[in-house]
Amino acid sequence: MSKITRRGFLQTSSALAGLVGTGVASAESRPPSWRGETRVEQIATNCEMCFWRCGVMAEVADGKVLKLAGNPQHPLTGGQLCARGNAGTQLLYDPDRLKYPLIRIGNRGEGKFRRASWDEALDFFATHLKDLKQKYGAESVGFFPHGVAAGFFGTLMKAYGTPNAAEPAFAQCRGPRDIGYQLTFGRAVNSPEPVDLEESKCIVLIGSHIGENVFTSQVTNFITGLQRGAKLIVVDPRFSTAASKADHWLPIKPGTDIALLMAWANILIVETLYDKQYIEQYATGMKELEAHVKDFTPEWAESMTEIPAAQIRDTAHMMAEAKPAVAIHPGRHVTWYGDDTQRARAMAILTALLGAYGRKGGMFLPTKVKQGRIPLPPMPESERGRADGAGTKYPLATEESQGLTQGLVQATMNASPYPIKGWVVYGQNILESIPQRQNTLKAIEQLEFMAVVDVLPVEQTNYADLVLPEATYLERYDPPAVVTTSKRPFVAIRQPAIDPLYESKPGWWIAKELANRMGLADYFPWKDPEDHLSRLVQPLGINLAELKSLGAVSFDGHPYIDDRKEEDGPIFPTQSGKIELVSSVLKDLNFDSLPKFTAVEQPPPGYMRLIYGRAPMHSFSRSENNSWLDDLMPDNQVWINAEFAAKAGIKNGQVVILENQDGAKSLPIAVRATVGIRNDCAYMVHGFGTRAKGLTKAYKRGASDTDLITRVSIDPIMGATGMRVNFVRVLPTTGERS
Amino acid sequence: MPRYAMVIDQERCVGCQSCTVACKSEWDVPNGFARTKVRQTGTIGTFPKLSTSFYVSQCNHCDRPTCVPACPTGATYQDQSGVVRVNRDLCIGCGSCVAACPYGARYINAEIGKVDKCDFCVSRLGKGLQPACVGTCPAHAKIFGDLEDSSSDVFRFVYRGAAKRMETANIAIGPNVYYAGKPEHTALALASFAPVPPRTIAPGKVWSSLLNKVVYLAVGVTFLGQAVAFFRQLSTGEKQFEE
Repeated sequence: MSKITRRGFLQTSSALAGLVGTGVASAESRPPSWRGETRVEQIATNCEMCFWRCGVMAEVADGKVLKLAGNPQHPLTGGQLCARGNAGTQLLYDPDRLKYPLIRIGNRGEGKFRRASWDEALDFFATHLKDLKQKYGAESVGFFPHGVAAGFFGTLMKAYGTPNAAEPAFAQCRGPRDIGYQLTFGRAVNSPEPVDLEESKCIVLIGSHIGENVFTSQVTNFITGLQRGAKLIVVDPRFSTAASKADHWLPIKPGTDIALLMAWANILIVETLYDKQYIEQYATGMKELEAHVKDFTPEWAESMTEIPAAQIRDTAHMMAEAKPAVAIHPGRHVTWYGDDTQRARAMAILTALLGAYGRKGGMFLPTKVKQGRIPLPPMPESERGRADGAGTKYPLATEESQGLTQGLVQATMNASPYPIKGWVVYGQNILESIPQRQNTLKAIEQLEFMAVVDVLPVEQTNYADLVLPEATYLERYDPPAVVTTSKRPFVAIRQPAIDPLYESKPGWWIAKELANRMGLADYFPWKDPEDHLSRLVQPLGINLAELKSLGAVSFDGHPYIDDRKEEDGPIFPTQSGKIELVSSVLKDLNFDSLPKFTAVEQPPPGYMRLIYGRAPMHSFSRSENNSWLDDLMPDNQVWINAEFAAKAGIKNGQVVILENQDGAKSLPIAVRATVGIRNDCAYMVHGFGTRAKGLTKAYKRGASDTDLITRVSIDPIMGATGMRVNFVRVLPTTGERS
Repeated sequence: MPRYAMVIDQERCVGCQSCTVACKSEWDVPNGFARTKVRQTGTIGTFPKLSTSFYVSQCNHCDRPTCVPACPTGATYQDQSGVVRVNRDLCIGCGSCVAACPYGARYINAEIGKVDKCDFCVSRLGKGLQPACVGTCPAHAKIFGDLEDSSSDVFRFVYRGAAKRMETANIAIGPNVYYAGKPEHTALALASFAPVPPRTIAPGKVWSSLLNKVVYLAVGVTFLGQAVAFFRQLSTGEKQFEE
């Protein structure tokens, strides 16, 4: 078979162009990288530039991924892909990648390693874990995973016998929201959030900055909803992209959201604008709620929130008019002030009053997906239990939750309730995602063994005894995504587009090989990931080859109350089977059973509250070294109110250092003096300012908010770390941005 | 013949730069440059009554393009469907067209020494695909189509809606990228990123006339060389390309 090759193709086409003379239909219309010709193969997989896992088609030729594009067949995200998703090839081909196993030879943090073979590295890991188990018990090893890809490693660590696994997804992100909604409706919100933005008549965002926070299908649904005429209310101290599209932007005084939410509830109840029939049919505790909100008038809320009472009324009326098609987005990163579960409860209560849960245009219900099971031997039980306080000190951080990272750090630092001597970090960036980095560094000093499995040499790798280079998402199988919170639930797979580069290995392989060496092979009773995958998807009535070619398969969903079938189970799986406006669980635990506003500490004179968020070109601290994304946004800026800046003599564009209430300093960062933020807070995009020298593009670019989050306010209900309790002032610097 | 046009819906755009990166990936655009990009205007108004807008820029495929006459070799031309294109074989990378474009839509790709810019992904259109930036946009803010087709979305926006051209009193060369959205947002984008008068490269005349002779020679030689290569290839068959 004669193959057209790139060089030959270009030669032929330019020769033809020469013949035609004017150059019509010549090589000019084709990219230099030669795509779209006979040898390009399309591999369906899903993205991991963030956790939304959009469907991706990878164009592959000659063992190279030439381009990534959206998978038009994907039931949730279709043909779309965000800037990060489109730039996935630049993670795959990042020259800074971890290339082979490394064993530390320098001091912790110094970053001196020697290259090791996989055999040696795996033996090293297995021997250390065996030793730790003998000396201190299996619980002495803490596990810091992140994301669905950590599934295989999670099995390994559970089988090893440690209950101490903790992900920032819970205590540093969405935990309070999931607990708050579970207490109210009997069901956590889950991911992707089942908010019916596209059908909504009124969308309410409390600090959510959709647009700067880009999950493709969420942006699509948000914009579609607005185009169809939905009203938009945005509560945010900063003039976000979403705020710029809003009918009402409420620049709320930070920390007063519960006052606003209670005032809205007050108006709906006092003016009998709530969905009476829905509440009577589905909810308990209405009488107590009515009594509870009696005094929370818009005028009272105005004095707390600095939002005019009239506007609080107008926005409540706007919601009432749209009910039940009101989408109050539960948010995602909601660990702000330590009262976050109660704020989530207040949002859930408001959703219930508007009759919006399980209704079109509000929040829709998940639909179960049948999954195959691979039977495993029973997991060992831990007598000593978890060390992070989940389920004990913080009663609603349950066993099913993802644990408390900062609790595990504290336990390690203080050897209490028992010594933690080993850490295994998989795909989590502990120095950037866990607040109070000073504690994390102290805890690391207590360790006898630390292993990091990662793709890039992020800062924590310098502290590890063993670094294992993982293949990127484009070079490996991961456990399939089983998504129930989509109107059409679906199963989507991740499969390799090419073989792993360098000596990197897929996570499943590393976990299975370690299991073999640790006497835990029985917990991995499958030959390879295809065997694993085919057993999991067996009940779906689709063969593996078909699934691999489509990338995803979807099923009919039952998103609204009226569609529910027997097999879907109860609509409200709470203790009472009803929406609990008054939470019986919180009452039993002696917490406030209805949300109350409590004032938060205000910044001292000259200081601003530090708030942070996302930019659409970056995912947390994981994409700043990506060549294309670095090109779009190489560093962050600190937003400071223009008037505040003028008074303090700070100029737009000036490079400054921020210092917090404890004297912690940031790296140099440029000021964006803008009218688009309140004068009592400063805002920056999270993820910049890494101190990892191995990330040659991202190293010390911009500033890290984590450097300035030296204190937290812990949610007593479920242990989340409220992080918007730090205050910063501006120290001018004459220095250049480093 | 179709007459291609694009509408950018500023009400939809969230400034996420998906289009920028999809285009970069499709066309191997080097860092520091873009065939399409999104810029945000400053925030204006009095707190809390504020306004900001996003401006997606790219080649406008103008009705009366200033880049075409500026090109000394005929590399830049407009095809019958209105798409302004560049024949890379004729391009000498002189930058005349870059200076002549009021919208800053062109750049010299240093890797190949030629000019590059948006061509509405004509090679994709031929395969029945949309331009790379259109399909990837999570907000569906880029709408592409044929103005001769009265059932197309672009037709609806341009002839029945309020889509505007980014033109000023002085610079009105018929851009075929239109902007839809609230009038104040379109106005803000235009005020912030107004087209600039076309420039010529100094010393224009001498340089370009000199250049033309060189180019005719170069084109002739290239043609001969390529013709020889082509016929040799036909006679000898193709060897496998190895990297």
